[in-house]
Amino acid sequence: MKKWVLFFCMLTIVLLLLSGCWNRRELNELAIAMAYGFDKEGDQYLVTTQVVVPSEVASKTTGGNLIPVVVYQAKGATLFEAIRKMTLLSPRKIYASHLRMLVIGEELAKEGISEALDFISRDHENRTDFFVTVARNQKAEDILKVTTILEKIPANQMYQALQTSADAWAPSAHITLDQLIADLISKGKEAVLTGIEKEGPLKVGESKDNVQKIDPPTRLTYTTLAVFKGDRLVGWLTENESKAYNYIHNDVKSTVGHLPCTNGGKVTVEVIRSKSKLKGKVINGIPQIEIDVRTEDSVGEANCEIDLTKTETIEHLEKTAEKGLKDMITKTVAEAQKYKVDIFGFGEEINRSNPDYWKKVKDHWDQEFEKLEVKVNVDVNILRVGTTKYPIMKLIKE
Amino acid sequence: MQAKEKIMLHQFTLLVIIFTIGSSILITPAGLARIAKQDAWMVVILATGISMLFISLYNSLGRRFPGMTLTEINEQILGKWLGKIVSLLFISYFFILASALTLEIGDFMTTQIMPETPIQAVQIIFISIVVMGVRYGLGTFSRAAEIFFPWILFFILFLTFSLLPQVNYVRIEPVFENGIKPILQATVPMLGLPFLELVVFLMIIPAIQQTKKVGKAFYAGTIIGGFILLVITLLTVYVLGSSLTSTQMYPSYVLAKKVNIGGFLQRVEAIMAGIWFLTIYFKITICFYASSLGLAQTFKLNDYRPLIFPLGMLLIALTQIISPNIVYFNYILRYVWTPYSLTYGLFFPLLLLVVAVIRKQKVKG
Repeated sequence: MKKWVLFFCMLTIVLLLLSGCWNRRELNELAIAMAYGFDKEGDQYLVTTQVVVPSEVASKTTGGNLIPVVVYQAKGATLFEAIRKMTLLSPRKIYASHLRMLVIGEELAKEGISEALDFISRDHENRTDFFVTVARNQKAEDILKVTTILEKIPANQMYQALQTSADAWAPSAHITLDQLIADLISKGKEAVLTGIEKEGPLKVGESKDNVQKIDPPTRLTYTTLAVFKGDRLVGWLTENESKAYNYIHNDVKSTVGHLPCTNGGKVTVEVIRSKSKLKGKVINGIPQIEIDVRTEDSVGEANCEIDLTKTETIEHLEKTAEKGLKDMITKTVAEAQKYKVDIFGFGEEINRSNPDYWKKVKDHWDQEFEKLEVKVNVDVNILRVGTTKYPIMKLIKE
Repeated sequence: MQAKEKIMLHQFTLLVIIFTIGSSILITPAGLARIAKQDAWMVVILATGISMLFISLYNSLGRRFPGMTLTEINEQILGKWLGKIVSLLFISYFFILASALTLEIGDFMTTQIMPETPIQAVQIIFISIVVMGVRYGLGTFSRAAEIFFPWILFFILFLTFSLLPQVNYVRIEPVFENGIKPILQATVPMLGLPFLELVVFLMIIPAIQQTKKVGKAFYAGTIIGGFILLVITLLTVYVLGSSLTSTQMYPSYVLAKKVNIGGFLQRVEAIMAGIWFLTIYFKITICFYASSLGLAQTFKLNDYRPLIFPLGMLLIALTQIISPNIVYFNYILRYVWTPYSLTYGLFFPLLLLVVAVIRKQKVKG
């Protein structure tokens, strides 16, 4: 008898424990957010969320007629409040663990982004592996309302596009949340973020018509890098400056650039590998930075009368390329020095090499940065010329 | 009477390793990076080095009174009544430590993984298994440690290797940015958690079969545990950087979130949390075992098992009132825990040893 009572007691306890997670949230109760857009309107935050419509993504038979995402918006005095307010619109609670993109409106970026970042890093649902971008000249909400076709979920399109362009074209940078926060905290480096733009009218962009055209009238495109001082956006780099930033920061994986020939025409060179190193030192109380960039290139396009079979030509090309790259980097550094924004992390480098000196200057580093001596060494190695020897142009003329 | 069960020497070493890793793996890197910045790894080495002194102290006490647990040693050296009072104080220390650990695992679960679950649910389930383990006895949970240790090691190795691509070596430069002072400052809390807590093993040492090699095993366990903490601290600084590490509540969890191999091996942090469940489980179990056994010996009970259920309930109750919120708890860990641990981990053992030497007390094994 006693055994049976014990047995039933055990069963009851096991029943309690085996019933599953306490606060389980099944897939059909989640609104999976793919992208957040943060804007400021007056003293209120406007949060835009792009949420997946699972039925449109998952099944091949029934779906396919509707746009696979829906956008919810809410305003609130703080971000968290605004996001919770979305439950007024959405049947499901927003679930942010699969977030891919965070878009910050330019206006908010100019006012400062630290408030926005505290929420997003404190909440346990958010990971740190999504990309952060700035909506250039626009509000973040407009960016999130554009439909895309190759990747049906616009947030995925943005994510992939940024990754691809950063890998193959170089003027953009994929900055994740933890990187951004580390840059903002650091006294020896200012943050940058890639800009994103909507081209074309929003009216078309937010409808299904947009993606039913072979040439969608409204699209999203990445622009150059936004420069932050502290947590405020202070300006934008040009394309070449953005490229130079990535060269200095050792973030160039592959890119393409053209060189002028001596007698007119252009040669395009593809960078296959690039490696850069920063070295900081302090000599007699004057900080110095040395940037070493080494690239491996191949000729990708030759549209002038040069003889690619001669080693002198290659040497000449290498020299031209070295000079061009060196100029680009030097100019970019000078430009940053003009605005006293150390986006390159030179301060961190000085700190690493001479902590004692750094302690003296770290509170007015922007002034020291302005006077910083920067030496640029570029070593370009053109290793290959592609599958053909002679420029087509040259053959035709002969 | 008690402690009839015997454990093997290597089981003891494993228990020491797991105890050292304990909850430190989860929270220590943040505290170290806050004070010592990128030099945090040196703090781990220094603290492990200093802890060798404590271990030699515990060892010499253990060697002087072979076959006797801490509570028995207390009564032997200090006499019946004074000894019992000191024993009770020790038991309260082990008990509060167990309670603090229970609070830690609950806070971790409700902050990072299941915020809507009542913290008591996590704690009660966790403590039921602790109670079960202690009821089965030292031998059983030592064998369990033997089974689980390879898993702990495997997960730590997995974490280390999968994060190697993200390691950025320049993050630990400049070395000695602020000189030696912050390193020493950060060493103090690290001594309190976990190294001074190792005094709890004086309750377990008499149960080891190969009495002669206990000293070496104790050193080895602590060094290996310290080494694992060193690896984790280095990883957090290498991958996250010291500033980001110091702002995190649970930096090694954030570390596990960073794992991403080729876009498919990712989001493994919940599995990684398994390491902490295991290490914290054994740490609580050891503390809880020590307090039950100690209490039974102090009151000359034949068996410590009848005490386990009531003590387990008390443990859960104590955990509810030990700290009003997580900020208070972190404050205690930062400023109060080391002096508190020093009392039991250094002051009392030293006192016992000195008195024993003066009174020329020694037990022949």
